[in-house]
Amino acid sequence: MSLALSFLSDAASTEAQGVIDRLQAYTGSAEQSIAQQQLGDPDYWGTVGIITITGILVVFFILALLILIFWAMGQFFKSKDKRKAAKEEAAKAAAATKEPAPAPAPVEEIDEADDSDDDEIIAVISAAIAAYSEADGKQYAIRSIKRKDSKTRSAWSLAGIGDNTRPFL
Amino acid sequence: MEIFVDTLNGLVNSSGFMGFIADGGWQNIIMILISFVLFYLAIVKQYEPLLMLPIAFGMLLTNLPMTGLYHAELWNPATNPYFAPEYIEQAGGVVVNYVKEASLDYGRVLHEGGLLDMLYLGVKLGIYPPIIFLGIGSMTDFGPLIANPKSFLLGAAAQGGIFFTFLGACAMNLTGMADFTLKEAASIAIIGGADGPTAIFLTSKLAPQLLGSIAVAAYSYMALVPVIQPPIMKLLTTEKERSVKMGQLRQVSKMEKVIFSIAVTIIVSLIIPDAGTLVGMLMLGNLMKESGVCDRLVKTAQNELMNIITIFLGTTVGATAVAGNFLNPKTLFIIALGLIAFCIGTACGVLLGKLMYVISRGKINPLIGSAGVSAVPMAARVSQKVGQETNPSNFLLMHAMGPNVAGVIGSAVAAGVLLSVLG
Repeated sequence: MSLALSFLSDAASTEAQGVIDRLQAYTGSAEQSIAQQQLGDPDYWGTVGIITITGILVVFFILALLILIFWAMGQFFKSKDKRKAAKEEAAKAAAATKEPAPAPAPVEEIDEADDSDDDEIIAVISAAIAAYSEADGKQYAIRSIKRKDSKTRSAWSLAGIGDNTRPFL
Repeated sequence: MEIFVDTLNGLVNSSGFMGFIADGGWQNIIMILISFVLFYLAIVKQYEPLLMLPIAFGMLLTNLPMTGLYHAELWNPATNPYFAPEYIEQAGGVVVNYVKEASLDYGRVLHEGGLLDMLYLGVKLGIYPPIIFLGIGSMTDFGPLIANPKSFLLGAAAQGGIFFTFLGACAMNLTGMADFTLKEAASIAIIGGADGPTAIFLTSKLAPQLLGSIAVAAYSYMALVPVIQPPIMKLLTTEKERSVKMGQLRQVSKMEKVIFSIAVTIIVSLIIPDAGTLVGMLMLGNLMKESGVCDRLVKTAQNELMNIITIFLGTTVGATAVAGNFLNPKTLFIIALGLIAFCIGTACGVLLGKLMYVISRGKINPLIGSAGVSAVPMAARVSQKVGQETNPSNFLLMHAMGPNVAGVIGSAVAAGVLLSVLG
């Protein structure tokens, strides 16, 4: 017990001495003396090197771990989406065999008539142009509405991206 | 008549003008001129004006003599009477620890402090930067990062700027021109993370006397990202590499985004508890946004809260730039080392991007690597712009947002590492 105690007090006093040294350095000529003390340490470059290397490694390690986890999560959700899509397709196919699909409504001047929203989209575009022509004072006629190449982004998604990436701090 | 003259005399003596004439008063005049330069940068050049303007004004206020808005001496542990070495020598081990903790006398700050001293408590106690992170989290879309987790690597590589600059700052000591302590070197190096709140958070803990100069350097370089990065990016990549088109990212579900914010918090905080403050607040903001159930809170975090804290943070950080702290050769070294940190960070990101270009057999455009330095979303826009210069139909923005937001997490982790080693 006494041994343990003496050990403890030893530890405490050395720690205290360390703190006192540091504080004295601090109150003396402020920061500079600490820097000089640190430089005087024979193992200065060892400390600096260890901090640098562990720093880089730890940052890479944590972010690599996150990659692994979110890659796995991505795979899981991708396969889930696929299964869901497959199920939906199967249900659609089953429904299609039961009753013949209604003939596609004739939609004028539309390249791809497979989307059921098309009528609605045409109405929206017409309304927008009508509103524009009213403000403009000119008359416009819609001659054709073509779907753009689906690989490029729509104006809406560009607007969304712009909104999401507006500068903040 | 005599009373009148005495009163007039008293007024003149207590006016700020006498402060300029007093010992060392000329330094205040120089600092005020520097604040004018920052006003020019903020208002005319529009360099990060939301922060630069309050910083410049804080600098102006603190250097007007006798206003008593900010007292640098209250924040210097060496002026704390309890800090006297003889007191410590008398004390035993336990008491020494107590003294160590109490090295700043907060009671004195509350009694004698001025307005900016009070507001500076939020910086000193580490409150403002995490709240800014909350706001950033509530504005950030981690979707591109979740869709392409490899981006994390680029976000980590760009943090190389921090650690190489740490080495560089320590090497400066050898030349004998500067003597940075390890803590100061780490605070300077964090400028390379290109993340203002992180730099302020770390510096206020490790080297508060450098806060003013480091904040000014960090925000200036963040504003200069579109100038600093493109030459480095072009130098390190070939035209063929720059013109790589990347496939569209997959859609990320709400569920994934919710899991992401919770999982990142748990993993990072468990491994580096010191990074928990910044990453935790970032992810809290993001979870509020992605969950879609806290609309009102998200609005506050994004707007009012963020703006209020920005005002407090900018003004008080500027106020720490008193002549004694700012007008010394260290400031020049900080400005030089900060630029080096930025350049190395960009280069590290692009070089890892090149490596990924080779490994992926030309599917990854190395330009997105430079976005790994945080500076959201400016760095991602630079990648987009440089990519489009080479190939006008190229659209790299969303791909660059992945490394960009990974860089925010990366620099918070790097700050946590430095804090746990040196703090």
